[in-house]
Amino acid sequence: MSERLERLINLTATLLDTRRPLTLDELADRLEPGYPDELASRRRQFERDKETLRELGIPITVGPVDSLGGEIGYRILPDDYYLPDPGLDPAERAALHLAVTAVETGGVEPLDALRKLGGAEGEGAGEAVATFALPAHLDLCFDAVSRRCALGFAYRGEARRLEPHGLLHRFGHWYVVGHDPDRDAIRAFRVDRIESVPTVGEADGFTVPEGTTPADYLASDPVTFGADAPVRARVLVTAERASLVVGALGDAAIEENRADGAVVVGLDVVNVDAFRSFVLDLLDHAEVLGPPHLRDDLVAWLANLAEEAP
Amino acid sequence: MSRPLAGPRLARVLAVVPYVCANPDTTVTELAERFRVSRSEIERDLALLPMCGLPPYTADRLIDVWVDDEGYVDIRLAEYFERPLRLTPAEGVALLAAARALLAVPGADRAGPLGTAVAKLEATVGVSGRIAVDVGSAPLLGVLRDAVDAGERLELDYHSYARDELTMRRVDPTRVFHVLGAWYLDAFCHRAGAGRRFRVDRILAVRSTGETFTVGPAGPGAASAGSGSPAGAGVLTDLVYEPRADDRRVELRLAPAAAWVADDLPLDDRVDEADGSVRATLAVSGDAFLERLLLRLGSAAEILGPPEAAELRRAAAARVLARYPR
Repeated sequence: MSERLERLINLTATLLDTRRPLTLDELADRLEPGYPDELASRRRQFERDKETLRELGIPITVGPVDSLGGEIGYRILPDDYYLPDPGLDPAERAALHLAVTAVETGGVEPLDALRKLGGAEGEGAGEAVATFALPAHLDLCFDAVSRRCALGFAYRGEARRLEPHGLLHRFGHWYVVGHDPDRDAIRAFRVDRIESVPTVGEADGFTVPEGTTPADYLASDPVTFGADAPVRARVLVTAERASLVVGALGDAAIEENRADGAVVVGLDVVNVDAFRSFVLDLLDHAEVLGPPHLRDDLVAWLANLAEEAP
Repeated sequence: MSRPLAGPRLARVLAVVPYVCANPDTTVTELAERFRVSRSEIERDLALLPMCGLPPYTADRLIDVWVDDEGYVDIRLAEYFERPLRLTPAEGVALLAAARALLAVPGADRAGPLGTAVAKLEATVGVSGRIAVDVGSAPLLGVLRDAVDAGERLELDYHSYARDELTMRRVDPTRVFHVLGAWYLDAFCHRAGAGRRFRVDRILAVRSTGETFTVGPAGPGAASAGSGSPAGAGVLTDLVYEPRADDRRVELRLAPAAAWVADDLPLDDRVDEADGSVRATLAVSGDAFLERLLLRLGSAAEILGPPEAAELRRAAAARVLARYPR
């Protein structure tokens, strides 16, 4: 165990220190504790070490040893390895410690990240005040946002492309928001509904328009979020549920206050499925007034269910 | 295989060395606290380092570690480890999500150390202003938190989602917290005579009663609201709904597009079929809950039984449809 750890430390140091890629033979000659002489098990152990380093986020570059392009070698580029110093002071480190203990993000251990930033400063929070889930592929999306790489993935059975501008969390879900080059429009995708491992394009594959932030895409309700083109919908909500709906959507959504206490609210719908669910959630306390295609969609949906033989 | 994992120890060593290099007055005790391991773990890590370095592993190429009698640590000849490793995307997003979430809580000090820490980190990682977390702006949060702090008894108008009815309750609020997109209140409910968990966005009105209550470490609210545990892993099922043995059961076949229901709701039984559909037996808390679920799922949910559930869906669809005269 400690022999392997020693070799991993020495491997990391050697690959960081070298000015040119080193071949596996060169590494085997130099490293202590060494790799086995027998070639197949040497290769196997080296691959295992490489995998361990990769899991820790240590990026090993593979490339030709010389310009002739013959042999393949390995190195760690300093720019890939070293964290640029964010210059945190102790109060800021303590605040981050408080944040990762007050907010649970299931699965990932945020103390790992804190460790690289100088460890856990201060006391931390006694109990969590908030819990978030981090879905699969969120890290890939985050990486693509940070390096401005185009993403490609399957979504609702369709191949989609996105230049991701940012990540947004609301109503318990993460969204990746950006420019859809095929539709030439801003679109948001729920990360947990992405159906394939996203492909990540080259770094600096696009530019983010000046002055836009994901917070700009924060609308007042979940039905205004999605991958369809926006349509303004009007929904009548009865007096019994008016305050509940207005509480959720905000006063700005009110288009009409009726004498009986009912309200008409307006929503920019970009996700017809979510919109239908929103309306049906209110049962017979809500009615889609328009546009006609959304009203027809709901009527057809209900008629299909109402006509079933009991 | 029960091989001890080299990865976590390597990660720690690669973080401890740069810290010591940047902070020459560090002690073993401080390192143990900072990196959340025992002193002997740190000592084992430090003992390993003098055997590490660069080829050909002569004295001038090996890492030099010195721990003095008072526990002060000094590390030399480790230039290549003097700065920490970059954050992985998973670490970066977890850290920033947590920090952004806490900043988004109403009343957070956005100009304080957490705000400046987030700005520095985001700039370092290249995501300045690109991560937004909305935890909702429930207007009643402030009132509820004040009542928790002051031990003040409240009267709530609460919309029960499962039964689609409005109720008035007197409660002793014990805790306010946020899970997966919604705010919750734990309180002792005098109407139920037990701890209850309320969704803050379904509280329509709060009235002060002028009464106060006291709650000990094992007081009424704490003892019976959910498991009394913080908003951690096991809490999620409590939040959705806690099925009771005598609750009705419904058996559904969910088409692949609706299979998310099986992940989101507590099930008694689940069978995944080859075509991606799921047969699920679901406990049901109330008619309104089941009506909503079945209407939303539409034909993606086939009702296998009991027949009353199919009739419930048909009747609910007809009732809502009556709003849309032809």
